[in-house]
Amino acid sequence: MTFDQKDVAITVKELSLQYAAKQALMDISLQIPENKVTAFIGPSGCGKSTLLRCFNRMNDLIDICKVQGEIIIDKQDIYHKSVNVADLRRKVGMVFQRPNPFPKSIYENVAYGLRLQGVKNRLLLDEVVEKSLRDAALWDEVKDRLDENALALSGGQQQRLVIARAIAIEPEILLLDEPASALDPTSTLKIEELIYELKQTYTIVIVTHNMQQAGRVSDYTAFMDTGKMVEFSETRTIFTNPKDRQTEDYITGRYG
Amino acid sequence: MNILSKLTSWFNSGIPWVWLNAAAVSVSLIMVFGLLGLIAYNGLGHFWPASLMEAELVDGQNKTVLIGEIREIKTVPAQQIRDSGIELPKETQWVNRLLIKQGNRDIYGLDFRRVLERDVMNIQYPKELVVIERREWGNLYGRLIGLKENDQIIQVDEPYNEALSRLETVLELHQQAKNISVNDIGAINYNIEKLRLKEKKLHLEHYSIAADLLSQKRLHIEEQRQSLNQTFIQLQTKIQTLNEKMSSDVILIRLASDQTIEVPLENIVQIYKPNDMSTVQKITHYLHQFWSFISDEPREANTEGGIFPAIFGTVLMVIIMSVMVTPLGVIAAIYLHEYATQGTLVRIIRIAVNNLAGVPSIVYGVFGLGFFVYFIGGSIDDLFYPEASPAPVYGTPGLLWASITLALLTLPVVIITTEEGLSRIPSAIREGSLALGATKIETLWHTVLPMVTPAMFTGLILAVARAAGEVAPLMLVGVVKLAPALALDSNYPFLHLERKFMHLGFHIYDVGFQSPNVEAARPLVYATALLLVLVIIILNFTAIVVRNRLREKYKGLEG
Amino acid sequence: MDNSRMGKHISQQFSDELEEIKNHLLTMGGLVEQQLEKASIALIEGDTKLANEVFKEGGQVNALEKMIDEESAQCLARRQPAAGDLRLIVTVIKAVNDIERVGDQAERLARFATQLAEHPRPKNNYHEVYQLAQHVQSMFHDSLDAFARVDEKLARKVINEDVNVDHEYEAIMRQHITYMMEDPRSINSSLDVLWAIRALERVGDHACNLCEYLVYLVKGEDIRHSEIPQL
Repeated sequence: MTFDQKDVAITVKELSLQYAAKQALMDISLQIPENKVTAFIGPSGCGKSTLLRCFNRMNDLIDICKVQGEIIIDKQDIYHKSVNVADLRRKVGMVFQRPNPFPKSIYENVAYGLRLQGVKNRLLLDEVVEKSLRDAALWDEVKDRLDENALALSGGQQQRLVIARAIAIEPEILLLDEPASALDPTSTLKIEELIYELKQTYTIVIVTHNMQQAGRVSDYTAFMDTGKMVEFSETRTIFTNPKDRQTEDYITGRYG
Repeated sequence: MNILSKLTSWFNSGIPWVWLNAAAVSVSLIMVFGLLGLIAYNGLGHFWPASLMEAELVDGQNKTVLIGEIREIKTVPAQQIRDSGIELPKETQWVNRLLIKQGNRDIYGLDFRRVLERDVMNIQYPKELVVIERREWGNLYGRLIGLKENDQIIQVDEPYNEALSRLETVLELHQQAKNISVNDIGAINYNIEKLRLKEKKLHLEHYSIAADLLSQKRLHIEEQRQSLNQTFIQLQTKIQTLNEKMSSDVILIRLASDQTIEVPLENIVQIYKPNDMSTVQKITHYLHQFWSFISDEPREANTEGGIFPAIFGTVLMVIIMSVMVTPLGVIAAIYLHEYATQGTLVRIIRIAVNNLAGVPSIVYGVFGLGFFVYFIGGSIDDLFYPEASPAPVYGTPGLLWASITLALLTLPVVIITTEEGLSRIPSAIREGSLALGATKIETLWHTVLPMVTPAMFTGLILAVARAAGEVAPLMLVGVVKLAPALALDSNYPFLHLERKFMHLGFHIYDVGFQSPNVEAARPLVYATALLLVLVIIILNFTAIVVRNRLREKYKGLEG
Repeated sequence: MDNSRMGKHISQQFSDELEEIKNHLLTMGGLVEQQLEKASIALIEGDTKLANEVFKEGGQVNALEKMIDEESAQCLARRQPAAGDLRLIVTVIKAVNDIERVGDQAERLARFATQLAEHPRPKNNYHEVYQLAQHVQSMFHDSLDAFARVDEKLARKVINEDVNVDHEYEAIMRQHITYMMEDPRSINSSLDVLWAIRALERVGDHACNLCEYLVYLVKGEDIRHSEIPQL
């Protein structure tokens, strides 16, 4: 699929990635539209998380990882050597599979990113913390106990806290790596609802194992298999009438 | 067959292993508490005011009167006694032998005496017997019969009470004199020594300084020395007067042998009548004795008095060691775990670190002596203290080198535990921080390190436990039997790292095995051991409390 | 329906369930087809006994309809089918409705057959109606066949056939209007005939619908209400 250039948040061009001897991603090209939710689905080990982690260069943490090709965000190839990774990650926020709040107070968790940027003004911090928690639909549940340890929250609340923490630094893009896979159904629905709200402001890319979830939350869906992009299309098409047989087999639960 | 199958099924049920585990735990617990109990029993009993007995000792036809404490009753085979030349009736198999502390070492030559129970007759506990604890020659037992002031017998109704009240005054004077001699005169001596070194330094540098400036400086030093000497003389006269005041009072004591001796009050630490004490008084006395043991300095080749310098030295050394080993170990662990490329080299380093933990401590002592004391200390002396030579400043065993040697000894423990702590932190936490735009160092500093603090404390606890109990290397790098001064005092720069110090572990060894008076020292060995254990427990307990509080903070992350 | 173009479900049970729903649908279709045939014969031959059989079979069809609806609902709720499976269930739910309507029309036809049996019969014995009935029957049969074999081509043929049915229907209607104008006594029977051919024409429409669903099932595209059905 192609989009009008001005509606594209991330452009991936012929991206290949290697872990030591293993080819994790092969020649992937796609465009991720702005202010939409794009879901990556595919069997385990198909490279969807790897692709997601390319967008904020989380794969840099692994020494043996080699990347070829381009990922363009804001007209800039993020793998160019002039790019400051910390700046990139401020622009491209990420939420992980398991809630990973820091063992600090709720307030400090949300303020963490801003403090890193050197913000010390208490009033500004208060304001941002409240806004982020409100946007993450958590404010009403925690407003009376901002000084409590974040680890005392429930799993679903922790995940929303982590989302609040990510949006506190106002990224442009939000990457969600199976954000609800460790949560109960109610919390999952809350997160999904939150994703729906957040797409007004952010471009969201979500990796999920749960196809129904991809169907529920996303506007576009990419199906990947063994490191290749098999099909990328509107979610409605993928879920009722996929063009590729592999996609069909995967989403209807067949083996090829 | 039936029993066999029952046995098999019993084995298969796993119950025997539970019992085995329980037994192992019980044995360990019994051993630990048994050890502590033994030490506590033997050590703590020492401070209880034992009753003084007066008895007749039959030695053939002679009868002598004996005053003393029964320290021990031991049943020994009769043959053993016969072998030592004492005749016993043929049918006797076992005899009881008493160990009696008769005190009065200056008169009898020996503190302790072993007698057979059958030779002791008419045991009585007269209330008027007194124990006189002296600054020299140990305890004196006898009856207080009078007082003398300036060689004149004074008539009083209650010589005991009078003696007590006068003793109080004398003790106060003694304290004053001691304060002057330790603090004021100590400071003067310290300053005079510094002036001497300054002068010597001037002498060494004379060729680089203009002649008039040199003489001016010399003059200045001389002036200072004059004024110090003047104060010194003043202080000494002060002490002289105090001493005169103290020496005027003398008490008269009649010993068991009816001999009367004079004891000057200035030689006395305390007087008490153990047979005339109520239980409450005894307990008070006990606590007082225990407190003096902790807070006083040793006397009489460490067999009397307290062990304060040893406690102080141990704690100070452990603290200095902790201050050195913690940052070093933590930084090393962080480098190894976070920054170093995980390859063969790092693996080798890790193995080396692990092996270091197993090197016998005396080897560290030898290394410390050779490298730190002689090489580094010697170099420091050459470079910075040429005026002190030939007397070494840092080129001799001392507190600093002992602390560094022990820091080296415990470094592997800190590195290993910190690294373990680092590897226990879920990578999700690091990723979470990095994903928020934090750099690696920011992630380490704001998120990872706070979470590793419990592990660091664990390392520190292990290090402290090991360091506080270590004796062998310390003997080489700084511990002495009797340190002339504490390493921390009121003279600038307050903490004197080059000084030698006393240590509880070494104190135990010294008192127990190097003392001329073994019987007197034995309870002290136990008491000191108990205190060493207490010191280690307190140090550890503090660290454990801090660690648990931190751990509470980060609870919920594991799992 | 034959799904040979796709792999097997990882869950065999899911495959079995889908297979069962399809089988029930075809069974129902077969039953309705039979109803339709009997009703046509009853109409032509004035056989009231046969017409009564049609009514009786109506009960069975209704029971099958309810069963298939229930099974489809269960499948949606518990399996959350996607893509081809989803289209199958959606198609089945709609097809069941159309087949049931065909059944209704068959019953209607049977009713008119009993009514017509009381009137004097024309010379040609309603031959033209019989022709239409045959035509519609074959359309319905083909649409079920297309379903069973997932034959999209056949389905499109059936859709195109509908125009012919409409023409025939109109011809018969005109003919009977003429009869009614010629002889007002025939109005009564002609009206019944008109109702009957109306029912037959409806069956043709339902067959058409079925075929449109099938195209959706196979191609995923909705060809309903598109002016020119492409071949």
